[in-house]
Amino acid sequence: MRILVVEDDEIAAEYVRKGLMEAGHVVDLAPDGDLGLEMARAADYDALILDRMMPKMDGIEVLESLRGDGDNTPVLILSALGEVDQKVEGLRAGGDDYLAKPYSFTELLARVEAIGRRSDPTAAVTKLKVGELEMDLLARTVKRDEQSILLQPREFRLLECLMRNANQVVTRTMLLEKVWDYHFDPQTNVIDVHISRLRGKIDKDFDVPMLHTVRGAGYRLQA
Amino acid sequence: MLGQIKKLYKNTLFRLSLLGALLFVVSMFVSLGYIYFATISSELRRVDKSIIAEIQGLQDIYDSEGLLAVNREVILRMASNEGLYYLKSRTGLSGNLEPADVDQSGIELFGIVPDEGGTPFRLIRFTYSVPDSEAIDLRDRRVRALAGFLKYDEKDKIEILVGRDVEATMRTSDRIMSAIITSSIFALILGLISSWFVSRRFTSRIEDFNRLATDVRSGHLDRRAPRNFSEDELDLLAEHLNAMLDHINRLMSAMRYAGDSIAHDLRSPLTRLRTRLESAAVDVKNEQASDALFSAAEDAGQLLKTFDSVLRIARLEAGERREMLVELDPKPILDDLVELYEPACEDVGLTFSSELKKKTAVRADRGLVSQAVSNLVENAIKYTPEGGHIHLRLELNKSGRVEIAITDNGPGIPKAERQRVKERFVRLDKSRSAPGSGLGLALVDAVADLHRAQFVLDDGMASEFGPGLSARLVFPKLRQGQSKNKAKLIPAQ
Repeated sequence: MRILVVEDDEIAAEYVRKGLMEAGHVVDLAPDGDLGLEMARAADYDALILDRMMPKMDGIEVLESLRGDGDNTPVLILSALGEVDQKVEGLRAGGDDYLAKPYSFTELLARVEAIGRRSDPTAAVTKLKVGELEMDLLARTVKRDEQSILLQPREFRLLECLMRNANQVVTRTMLLEKVWDYHFDPQTNVIDVHISRLRGKIDKDFDVPMLHTVRGAGYRLQA
Repeated sequence: MLGQIKKLYKNTLFRLSLLGALLFVVSMFVSLGYIYFATISSELRRVDKSIIAEIQGLQDIYDSEGLLAVNREVILRMASNEGLYYLKSRTGLSGNLEPADVDQSGIELFGIVPDEGGTPFRLIRFTYSVPDSEAIDLRDRRVRALAGFLKYDEKDKIEILVGRDVEATMRTSDRIMSAIITSSIFALILGLISSWFVSRRFTSRIEDFNRLATDVRSGHLDRRAPRNFSEDELDLLAEHLNAMLDHINRLMSAMRYAGDSIAHDLRSPLTRLRTRLESAAVDVKNEQASDALFSAAEDAGQLLKTFDSVLRIARLEAGERREMLVELDPKPILDDLVELYEPACEDVGLTFSSELKKKTAVRADRGLVSQAVSNLVENAIKYTPEGGHIHLRLELNKSGRVEIAITDNGPGIPKAERQRVKERFVRLDKSRSAPGSGLGLALVDAVADLHRAQFVLDDGMASEFGPGLSARLVFPKLRQGQSKNKAKLIPAQ
C-alpha cells in the first residue's frame, strides 16, 4: 500500500515509516498539516495516517478539507488525547479509525492495513467468504465447507470482524472496540477466551486451522 | 416528631442551654419560696401567738373570777376586735360562732380529751361560712383557732374556742403561690424556647463544619467552610480549617502533579522502547532472543498501561467529563459485561451469575460504567479461588437508588483496609504477588465520583475462602426534569 504519514514528531514519524516499510508498504512523510494536505491532494494514497495535534493545521482540519474535496482515502487518526469524546469527534470528521498514543506499532500496522484494504465502504456487502468459510450477513448463517456452524450473536460479530480483515492481524484492542465497543483494555484474557470458543466452533472438526494467534499482536483469520 | 425531639436532645448546645434554663427556674423557685415563707408564715405565727396569749388571758380570768367573768370578757372582746369566739358550758352558749359553723368544719372540736397534766388546748384550722357582703351566696372563710377546755372534769366541761379570721392572709398566700407556679412555668417555657433558638443558631454553623468534613473525607478537597467574617470563634475556626484544607490540597496536588507528569513524560520514551523491542523481536532470527524481546516489549506495554490508567484517573478526577453523562438504562451495559466475562470465569473454574433489574435509569457514561464494573469483575475473578462464585446484581435499593453490586465468595478485604484500597497504587500484601497495578479500584472510585455515585466495599458471600467481597456502586437518584433536558442536548453518537 502507499501510505502518507502526517506527523510533526520526527522521531515518531521515522519509526512509523521504518515499520511500515518493513511490512512492505510505500511510505511518504509530511511534517505538518499544510504540506500533508497538499501531498494528499497531489497523489493517490491507499491510506493516510494523520496526527491530530500539529502546528499550522491540525489533523481534524486536514481531514475535513480532504472530505470536503470528496476524497475518500481511508484515514487513521493518531492522538495523544485518548478520551472517547475526542475519538467521536475524529470519527465524525470522517476518520475511518482512531488510535490513541501511546500505541504499539503492531496495533498501528493492523489498523492501517484494516482500513487500507477495506473494500468500498459504500457498497452493501451481504456475504463474506474466506477460504472454505462463508458468512451470510442477512440470514446470519455461517458455513465452513458447506457444514453449518451455529454461533452465538457475539461470536457471529467476532467472526465477522475477523473475516472482514481476513489474512491480516486483528489486535485484541481492535476486537474489543469493534465487537464489544469497549475503549479500555481489560487486564485479564477475556478476548482470548472468546477466541478459543470461536476456534472450537470453526476449527475443531477440520484438519486445517483458520484462526491463528499472532504472537505479541493479536489474531489472524487465514484462508 | 419524637425523632426530632430526640435529635434535638442529642444536640450538646441544646442540652447545655436547657440545663442553664432549668437551673434558673429552680433558683427562681427557691428564692420566691423564701419570700413566701418569710411573709405569709410569719404573719400566721403572729396570729397564733396572739390567740395563745388571749386564751391564756381567758384561762386566768376563769381561774380567778369564774365563768361569768369569762363570758363577760368574751362579749366585750367580740365587740372590740375581730376575734372569733365560742364558749359553751352546761349553763349556756356564747360567742360569735355557731356550733354549726364549728361542726361544719368537720372537726370534732371538743372530742379532745386533755392529756394527764397536758395542755387542754390544741391549735386547729377550719373554715366557716358567712354571707358575703357583695355576693348573695355564702363564702367560706379560713380560720386559725385554739380550742380546748377551761375546765374539764366529771361534773363540768367548759369548752372554749378563740380564733382569727385569716382569710385575707390566706388569699394573699394563694395568690403568691399561684404567681410563683405560673412564673416558673413561664420561665421554663421561655428557657426551652431560648435553648432551642440558641442551639439552632449555633448548630447550623456547626452543621456546616460537619458537612465540610464529610465532603472532604469523601474526596472533595475543593470544599471550604463558609465564613461570615464576624471574627467570632466559629468564624476563626472556619478560617483555620480552610487554611488547613488549602495546605493539604496544595500538598496533594503537588504530589499528584508530580506523579501525573512523570506518567505523562515517560510515555513517549516508553512507547519508543516498546516499538523498538517489538521490531527487534520480529527482526532477530534467534527464537530465544525473539522470545525475550517480546516479553520485554510486553512489560513495556504493561508499564504504559499503568501510566495510562494514572492519567485516566487524573482526568476523571478533574471531572472534565461530567457533561458527557446522559440518562441511560444500565442493564444493557451489564448484559454485555456478563456476556464478556462469563466464559472467562468458566475457564478459571468460577461460576458467574447475574440478576439484572429491567428499566432503571441513571445518569452515566456507558464506557466509564463498563470499565468500572469490568475492573470490579476482574478483581473478583483474580482473587476468588477456583470453585468460587461471582454474582452481578442491578437493583433499586431500599432508598430507591440504582445499585450495581459485584459480590464474590473469595477472601474479601479486611474492614480496616476498605478505604485505603481505593487509593492509587495501594495493594494489600496478599495481592502483591498477583499481577496488577493497584489502580483498578482507584479508577472505579474516580468513575463513581464523576457519577456522584457511592462506591461501597462490604462483606460478600461468606464461604470457606473467607467473608467474600461485595463492591457496590450506588448511583444518585435522577433529578426530575433537569436530567431529561440534559440528555436531549447531547447528540447521539
